[in-house]
Amino acid sequence: MTVQRDVVVKQLADIQIESTDEGLIPAYGVLVNMLPVAFWNTFTERILKAIPDERRAELEEALVNCAHECGYHTGFGIINSDEFKSVVEPMVTEGAKDILRGAYAVFTAWGWAKSGIVQIKEGERMVIRAVDYYESDGQPGYKTAFMIRGVSAAFFDLAYSDAFPDGIHKYKCEQAKGIEVGDPFGEFIVYQNE
Amino acid sequence: MALEVDLTFDQKTYRHYMNGFLAVLHCHHYMSLLTKLAEDYEDVGGPDILCESVEDSIRPMLDDYFQKHNVGTPEEKLKVGQEYYSVMGMGQMEVMGDEQGGEVVLQRSHVDQGWQKKWGGNIGKPINHWTRGYAAAMFAAAFNRPPRSYQAEEIASIIKGDDTSKFTITAC
Repeated sequence: MTVQRDVVVKQLADIQIESTDEGLIPAYGVLVNMLPVAFWNTFTERILKAIPDERRAELEEALVNCAHECGYHTGFGIINSDEFKSVVEPMVTEGAKDILRGAYAVFTAWGWAKSGIVQIKEGERMVIRAVDYYESDGQPGYKTAFMIRGVSAAFFDLAYSDAFPDGIHKYKCEQAKGIEVGDPFGEFIVYQNE
Repeated sequence: MALEVDLTFDQKTYRHYMNGFLAVLHCHHYMSLLTKLAEDYEDVGGPDILCESVEDSIRPMLDDYFQKHNVGTPEEKLKVGQEYYSVMGMGQMEVMGDEQGGEVVLQRSHVDQGWQKKWGGNIGKPINHWTRGYAAAMFAAAFNRPPRSYQAEEIASIIKGDDTSKFTITAC
């Protein structure tokens, strides 16, 4: 048996996300929030609109890096969490590949993207497809999945780079296709940083 | 009054909904990093863009709740806003005030405590632009005023070592 995304997603989605009496949601070793998608997308769209053209690439990389650092630290928390150990680990039969598949199932269960790995060359390259993802909700005329790019690179760092916390930024991710620019799905390619 | 919260997960799209509004889970790392990014881009208005993005995305949720649950008085509406804040995992809030403005106090704060967990210390100034926007949305919704009718200023901050974070809310 390998990690079956849909089974994992269903089980994780059944875990109730509820705030404590202090209004906080501690889970997976981090503090979780549950906010309207409109907030995240509006912020990204408006700050990109505010930036002069000559600084746009730098800002896009900064947006990706927010998700990269988040994905690296939270991803580590996820794959070492009780929730992951109880739901995903019993299905792990292919080492790092299956840990990655499990991480993408969590990624999906959090509502980030209905996504999965379609191709993987261990330690070298990975292709992700997402048939539904919240970052595609607007239609600004450019690819907007900065969060998926960052988290995907981070997950590959966790699987194939130096041990946490020293392995971040060995890999990067580019968005090849996007629903928001008219493609039928989003496609993301992870590869080694130059 | 206990907030009625309907959390659903669409088994087809794998998306979350909170009282019918599309929602997503994120963590304190992402919130801290986006807040830091807004600070880093202060020259193009990053903190205010963050604040106003919150105001504009939270307001429809509050208005919708008031309508569907017949929440009538400003006091009840502020109470709903206070409870929604906790349900979202953003912390523990006390609100007081009237149409001219008021005060918001945070006993617990996802933004500040998340920042402390991530980086510790403080940067010598308040950073909770998220809650500034939330407070502006909450007061405008409670008193049925248009967006940007209220300004929130953070006058005490957990990240700066204060016991609580405090915001003064002023009608524009």
